[in-house]
Amino acid sequence: MILRKLQYKAISCLGPGLLSVASRIGKRPGRGSAQGAAHPFGPPLESGRKLREIMSLHYLSGRYADGAVPVAWVTSGFPVEPLRALGFHAVYPENHAAVCSVKRLVPELSAAVERLGYSRELCGYARADLGCAVTGTTPVGRLPRPDLLCCCTNICQTVLYWFRALADRFRVPLAVVDAPFVYGEAKAGHLEYFADQLRGLAETAGGIAGRATDRGALLETVRLSREGSLLWAECLAAGRAVPSPWTGFDAFFHMAPIVALRGTKECNGYYRMLRDELNDRISRGVGGIGNERFRLLWDNLPVWHRLRPLSAVLAENGFNIVCSTYAAAWAEAGAAIDPADPEGSMARAYLNVLLNRDLPYRLSFMKRLCAESGSTGAILHSDRSCKPYSIGQVDLQRRLVSEAGVRTLLLEADHADPRSWSEEQAGHRLAAFMESFE
Amino acid sequence: MRSVVIARQKKLGRKTVIVLPVLYPRELLTAMGVHAVELWGPPGPPRSPAAGRLQGYVCAVARNALAFLASGGGRDADAAIFPHTCDSIQGLATLAPDFGGWEKPAYRYLHPKGEDRPAARKFVRSELERLAGELARLTGRPLELPRLSEAISLHAEIDRLRRELLSRRPFLPLSDAALYRLLRRGEYLWPGDHLEELACAARGIRDDRVRHGVPLMVSGYVPEPMSVFDCLEAAGAFVAADDYAAVGRRIALSPPPAEGDPLDRLSGMHFRMPPCPTRTSDTGARMEYLLSLFRRSGAAGVVLHVPKFCEPENFDVPAVFRTFADAGAPVLVLESELEAELSAQSATRLEAFVESLKFKGPSR
Ligand code: SF4
Ligand code: SF4
Repeated sequence: MILRKLQYKAISCLGPGLLSVASRIGKRPGRGSAQGAAHPFGPPLESGRKLREIMSLHYLSGRYADGAVPVAWVTSGFPVEPLRALGFHAVYPENHAAVCSVKRLVPELSAAVERLGYSRELCGYARADLGCAVTGTTPVGRLPRPDLLCCCTNICQTVLYWFRALADRFRVPLAVVDAPFVYGEAKAGHLEYFADQLRGLAETAGGIAGRATDRGALLETVRLSREGSLLWAECLAAGRAVPSPWTGFDAFFHMAPIVALRGTKECNGYYRMLRDELNDRISRGVGGIGNERFRLLWDNLPVWHRLRPLSAVLAENGFNIVCSTYAAAWAEAGAAIDPADPEGSMARAYLNVLLNRDLPYRLSFMKRLCAESGSTGAILHSDRSCKPYSIGQVDLQRRLVSEAGVRTLLLEADHADPRSWSEEQAGHRLAAFMESFE
Repeated sequence: MRSVVIARQKKLGRKTVIVLPVLYPRELLTAMGVHAVELWGPPGPPRSPAAGRLQGYVCAVARNALAFLASGGGRDADAAIFPHTCDSIQGLATLAPDFGGWEKPAYRYLHPKGEDRPAARKFVRSELERLAGELARLTGRPLELPRLSEAISLHAEIDRLRRELLSRRPFLPLSDAALYRLLRRGEYLWPGDHLEELACAARGIRDDRVRHGVPLMVSGYVPEPMSVFDCLEAAGAFVAADDYAAVGRRIALSPPPAEGDPLDRLSGMHFRMPPCPTRTSDTGARMEYLLSLFRRSGAAGVVLHVPKFCEPENFDVPAVFRTFADAGAPVLVLESELEAELSAQSATRLEAFVESLKFKGPSR
């Protein structure tokens, strides 16, 4: 126990320096490096290196977390602040599943759970993560065993089935914070229900951590969460500049800290650095792609296993994704968190996340993003295994066209599983979409 | 048939509400004189091109319901209730009312997710009160608690009879197809009328065994296509235990308390239902329940009849496999897409499954 604590502390303190050196030594020619072949992108973001460092450190420290500090596996939309205030190390299976998807491990991981009876039509993240739990395979070395599983239904009901399966596997308690869906405005009774559950969470988690919540620590975490969301919003707002200093595909990677490290100093320090770099690029007229001719919105999760070829084909033709509902969702709701009223404001913030809101709201959000960013087109990723995000997209697409004059493409894929991807079909559809702009 | 029933109820001055699957407070609607007509698809090909507004990877229940509503299939109804059964119906609950397909009042009935706890009980009660307020605006008449008490008793009696018909299956001289037609008439009949039919059928329960063949447990969402029962019968099997979301899982495990505030009693009903994935019930508790149902019924195997693309039902499939493998009971998964008829391939698989059970000894 003491050794684990020392190891965990040592990694957390020394890790950043070691990783920074390692990442400089190991730097490979990447996007925009002198050795790279001709490509359509702008110079790479310097912050990318720091991003790799802090996310590597997050996973590295995770290897030593169990036994040293309480460990919670949490869903991306879970109100993590009470857990951080209690000293939990938080692991985000969705973020981890995204890493698996980028590394194209999902077919293998999914196959392992399909053999147990899981349908291939279930959420790709869930299949990937359960596959990791079953096979022990992970691209991050090792995930710490959870003491507590924490699930909030504000992104979907699927996460609850997924986390139940994890709870069954690890034989640990599951804390559920249920988020009633918001039609129009959140109802007072629903906010109260959410806040009630937060109080219950503090008790359950406190029991596992072996201590009561330190109010000061909670307020500080809440403050950091809000600040982090606002900083992330500033980074995204940089995309409104013409040319945009980065691409939406960059943003998909750079959103990892606001998902997995929300409420920490590391997260906020990182976004200050990223924001400054983006602003510097704006002042120098440096774009995310070399020749930005058309600006687009992306809806739904990224197609993680095809990010590189998709971004390349768009950039080669002068198209830049300058905003996305997915990345922006993390800036919107978090800003509502307020240290003056932690429970009440967390209820407001976490109930109002994009996926917990009705279609009129989603449409107005998409229109606003297009208007603010000057996007004249939108790619709506119709995501086979994410029903909550995809239901309604056919109507959203039509309304974006008729009400906002935005050209649209509904592109069918899966965020995690490359087996549902048809290169040829997607290629044809993308080509036809791009031609419509000429 | 449904339109005849609706017309008759309208003549009696009752409002009609279309209700999407699965669980809703029937007692509240009855107490307020609201006639509920449930919409499980309907089966068969979608009734209008509006199904295309939901991608092909969304379940047929949601796609067919949208097509049905958008084609004017609910024109005789005065409102619709969308219970928050799953992500798909939750999506449909904003898609049809907000973007077209359902222009009349739409009420959303939200369930608490997660385990039974004080916050969840409070939530159920406040949702009931909210729905009562919405129905009062529809009917022009507020909820009267004595009427709610009566409705609770009426539905408790309906549940008792349904449970009796299902649990005394071997002694009931009705084919499975006839029994399920009877039970499913509760999806659109006025409860009092349904009760009479159930009571009449229950009087026919015999002392001697009249059903023979391979006893099976069926678990799934909705028994569609209904020809699945003809196929089972032809193969020499019968349904000895039911765990369909549309049928057995909506029969409360125990009757409500006889005394107390009717709204509290009704809220409590939510937590007395058999475990169901659409209410995100604990998987372990569900497996225990299934195993005990299976053992009590003397079933020899399990048919898992799950809709394609249905996350709630499909997430539990591995646990069902594990549980029944440990009990030495064979499981057959039958995937459905609300087809009008059972496919030849599914029929063959069912027949082969029943055949295999005929040669197998009893399960542990
Ligand atoms: S990808 Fe979609 S279905 Fe899967 S966890 Fe996320 S929101 Fe839920
Ligand atoms: S079949 Fe499953 S996914 Fe479809 S509406 Fe019913 S519960 Fe939802």
